This record gives sequence, structure tokens and C-alpha cells, in this order.
Amino acid sequence: MTGVNDRTAGNTVLDPTNESRPAVRTLLERPDSLEGLVVGLLDISKPRGNVFLDRIESRVTAMGATVLRYSKPTFTKPAPVDLRHEIATHCNVVIEALAD
Amino acid sequence: MHDIADLETRGVPGVFVASDEFVTAADAQSVSLGMPDVKRVFVTHPIQDRTDDEMVALADRFFDEIIAGITRRPIPRT
Amino acid sequence: MPNGRPALPDGLVLVMKQECATCRLVEPLVARIAGEAGPLTVWVQDDPSFVGGATALHDSDLAVSWHNSIETVPTLMVVREGRETERTVGWSREDWRRITGIADLGGDLPPVRPGCGSMSVDPDLTDELRVRFTGDTLTARHVEFSSAEDEFEAMFARGWTDGLPVVPPTRERVLRMLSGTTRAPSDVVALCPPDLVELTVEKIAINAVMAGCLPEYMPWVIAALEAVCNDTFNMHGVLATTMPVGPVIICNGPGTRAIGMNSGINVLGQGNRANSTIGRAVQLTVRNVGGGRPGEVDRATHGNPGKVSFCFAEDELNSPFTPLAQWRGMKPGTDAVTVFAGEGPRGMVDQLARTPDELCQSLAASLLPMQHPKLVIGFDAILIISPDHGRIFREAGWDRDRVLTELTALTTRHGSGLVRGAGGIAEGIPPHLADAMLPKFRAGGLLITYAGGGAGLFSSMVAGWANGSVGSEPVTRAVAS
Repeated sequence: MTGVNDRTAGNTVLDPTNESRPAVRTLLERPDSLEGLVVGLLDISKPRGNVFLDRIESRVTAMGATVLRYSKPTFTKPAPVDLRHEIATHCNVVIEALAD
Repeated sequence: MHDIADLETRGVPGVFVASDEFVTAADAQSVSLGMPDVKRVFVTHPIQDRTDDEMVALADRFFDEIIAGITRRPIPRT
Repeated sequence: MPNGRPALPDGLVLVMKQECATCRLVEPLVARIAGEAGPLTVWVQDDPSFVGGATALHDSDLAVSWHNSIETVPTLMVVREGRETERTVGWSREDWRRITGIADLGGDLPPVRPGCGSMSVDPDLTDELRVRFTGDTLTARHVEFSSAEDEFEAMFARGWTDGLPVVPPTRERVLRMLSGTTRAPSDVVALCPPDLVELTVEKIAINAVMAGCLPEYMPWVIAALEAVCNDTFNMHGVLATTMPVGPVIICNGPGTRAIGMNSGINVLGQGNRANSTIGRAVQLTVRNVGGGRPGEVDRATHGNPGKVSFCFAEDELNSPFTPLAQWRGMKPGTDAVTVFAGEGPRGMVDQLARTPDELCQSLAASLLPMQHPKLVIGFDAILIISPDHGRIFREAGWDRDRVLTELTALTTRHGSGLVRGAGGIAEGIPPHLADAMLPKFRAGGLLITYAGGGAGLFSSMVAGWANGSVGSEPVTRAVAS
């Protein structure tokens, strides 16, 4: 039970909507299969990730999907907005790898 | 994970792949991004000193789980 | 039950706090009152041990003080059959003698001594107390943001905003907002279009918090929502149209000055909290509760910036005209809102008119093109006369009716020039009206208001959406606290 001044539990607000949608942010619907879709592979640019993604690419292609390869300029920051926009424009789904 | 969460809001379902060293960090980050259910797959570390063949094997081992993050396919029981 | 109203015992009830000098002054009387005028129950808000003459109870959670509206200590109450019949606050020898029946009570005390503020009305505590004692009146779903999540980003991400940041509607803020109205949080104010959801006072308060309102704005926000959520105003139509209209809220009455609304310089613009947030609260409520969002039910081609908020007060103190609400049927001096389905304002320049006739010619010429020069009657309009223009009417002794009569005459034209195709313009009125004399506006369709800064020979006008049975009619509604 959160107290009025309990900061550790985060913030509770009252829902301003008609509450017909779920309160938590739900993820998007996923497609049933990748066949015929464009799959983006986003390399975060840490070493060896490209080998991993090469294998993912060949197997995804074998499933009947088209693969587009992207890589971030650096793994230390979120991807630049232009890159995210490009992925969103051209891809149906995305796989980001490989953080360690 | 910021990228995957952001792409999710741009309409692109995504999955984030990291080594299993990342589990707790990823959980915390996903909560702070307001998207606790962000799809993520943890592969067995280490990564850096694996040979090419080992990386290929790693990709094969976790392939179905990765695809499950971006499709409605359930993860097959092995 | 922790938040329930504690029962008061019969007899005398005294509420004090040790920190209060007047309470310490009267403490020596407690023993005598208990002995000669009892039963006496003593509640102490802070430290009960300072009371020697009777057993004092500790109102540690301030439930007794809160539920009995104790604002001053000491408060001495008479209770019969569980109900308070009278009370006196502070020390008044005359009142205390009368209530206790002890004729020589407190002879060595000064005749009168004011009390101190009760802890239950301490501004530092009221938010917490409100949550403690009225928090269970809130029924809206709780939404948790994690402590690592930026609450402002989280509200953007959930689609709760109009594109600008909103204030997080915590329970404390919502309860504080609800203190601005006497209506119960569960009261249903209207069915909110487009989803026709029950709009409760609580949901209005949540959106009013997000908009940045003060509690004293609540009655105005409630009245405006009552005014738009009905078939007469037709909020659903106003939302769903491709035309650039939204609710324009015109406020009248002394209450507009009490809450600090702007009726002067930059009256239609930014900068005044009441003007901006009352309009915004209405829009956010329709968006969030009613489900009326751009791109969904809201299909406006262009929209207009007033759809963030468009709310202003008339300058009644300097106006040569009766207040708009009065013209629309409200009794003089009534706090009221008039809602109008309108676009953004257009300006009109006339820096040379000296007489009311000349000014009306200018105004008429500027009113004729509203929506389209060749369309008449089907659209209403608001005219906002500035003080410099208003002076011309005042000095000539022209009141609202006189101005309206003149403008109506000057905007009445023969139909032949207005029919479709006339002048090479496809738009226009149907050909069967070619021989009629047609006013630009239907009776009651031109709403004249007075507001603005003292300098500037300009007035403004606001074009309306379609009126009539498929469109929107202006609605005027009294503001009730």
C-alpha cells in the first residue's frame, strides 16, 4: 500500500480517460509470420555482433522475408532519430543486437 | 533498449538481443521506459571471445526465441 | 472504521491544541466545566497532557476536527442526541457562561480572546487530510508510473495531452481541485461525446488538474462542459466536422473578476491562467473522457489554434452593452458561460470612423464575407468590439439593440447577387431565393461582445460552424458553485 509520501513506489495518478483502454502500455500486435515482410536488423556496433546478425539474416531470408541491415554509429547512445525514422519507414519488424 | 521501445511507438514491433549479463539492467531500463514488456532475448555470455562458428551456433540456438519476439509464433518446446 | 465520521458524545465537547495560547488560557476552566456542566469531552489536537482538569483525548489523526469542521481552537460545542446544536470559537466569557450555565465562569480572564488556527485547516496538512478523509470518494482507475519513469513523458506516451505537457493528476491534486465545487465527485454532469461516456465531476477534476486549473475554476469548467455536451450545441458534430471549429467559451458575471479572468489587453491571447486553463480543461475532457481525438473522430482539415483553448471574459464594467449572457436570457449579474462553435478570430481595422454609422458600415462590410460572401443565415458569428470602437457607440448612446438593428440592416442583401453561379462564383444560395431580401445572419445569430485592451481601433470577429438542426446552436448556462 503506497503512502501519500512514499516516493519509492513511483507516482500514482488518476486516469483521465474513460478507461476503455488498458492502463499499461501494451505492445503492438505481431504478425503471424515473417514471410513477405521486411525485417530490419539493427547492429548496435559492438564487436562480433555482425557475425551474429549475418547468421540471423540468412535464416530470416530463408523464411521468405527481406532483410535490411542497419548499424548505429555508437552503442553508447540511442540510435539517431534519422536512423530510427528510416527503420520505421522501411521495415515491418526489427531485431536489435547484440549488447553485452 | 531505448531504440526498440522507440520503434515500438513508431509502429515497428521489435526485439532486443543481449547477453545474459544484461538481464537485471534490461528489466530496470524497460520499467523506466514505461514499457516493462519490451521483448528481449538473452543469449549465453561471453560474446567477445567467441569464434565465428560459435557465434553462428549461438544465433541458431536462440533463433526461435528471437523470432517469437516479433511474431505471434510461440517458442517451441525443446 | 478509520475514515468514517467519529460520533460525538452528548454534552459539551471542547477541541483545543496545546500550542494555542488561548487554549492554555482557558485550560484552568476545564475542571469546573466538567464538574458543574458535564458531561464534558475534551479533544486535543497535539499534546493532551496539558489538560489537567479532565481526561483529554488525543485527536491524533485529526478525524474529529476534520469531520466537525473545526477551524479555530478552542471550539466549544453543545451536542444533543449525537448532533451539534451550537458552538462558540475562541474565548468569549459571555458565550462560555451561557453555554455552560456557570454564571461566574472565567471571572479572572479577559472578556474575549481570539482563538488560533485549527491544525485540521493548516495549509501544510490539508492535502494529506483530504486524501485521508475523502480519498475513498475517488473511483477513477489508478495508473502507476515507476519512479524511474518521467511522469510528464509518461503522460505524453499515453496520449493524454493536447501536445503540450499536462500536470500529473495525483490524488492530492484531484482532491484539491474537487474542493472548488460542492458537487460530489460521483455526480454525472453529462454524457460526453463522441463516445457518450458518463462524465463525472471526478473525471472533470482530473482533466482540470492536467489543464492547470485552480480549484475556483471548477464551477466554470463544469458549466462549460454541461453547455457543450448536449444535442443543442452538438459537440459530436463540432468534433467530427472537417471545418476548423471548436468550442469558444464566453464568460460573464462578477465571478469572472473573482477568479481573475482577462477581459482586457490580449484577451483572446495567451498569458492568463483562468482564460487558458478553463478552455483547455474542456478540450482535454472531451479528448480523454469523450474520446474525441484528432485523426480519430476529429477530422478537421485545418483546425485552428483555438482548439487548444479559446475562453475569455467580457469587460462588463466598461461595456456600453448588456452582458452577452443577459442578452441571451440570464438574469443580470448571473455568472454564466456561453459556448459557441467557432473558428479562430479575424481582425478588422477601422482607425478613421468617428460616428457609429460609419463604424457599423465597416463592421458590416467585414461581417459579410464570413465563411463566404455569398452564404447567408446558415452560419452564426461572434463580434468582439474593442474599447476604442466601443467608445464610439457609448458616446453616441447606442446600446446593443441599436447596433444590432443597424448591422442587420447593413448586412441584408438581395438574393440575386448571392445565388450559385452569380459573379462567376459557384458557391452561393439556392436559386429559389434569388428574389428575397436576405440578412447575413439569422435572428440571434450575431453575438456581440465587448472586450479588449484600451488602445486599438480594431475589433475582432469569430465565424461559426453551421447552425440549425444538423449544426450547432450557442448554449448559455449559469455557473453554479
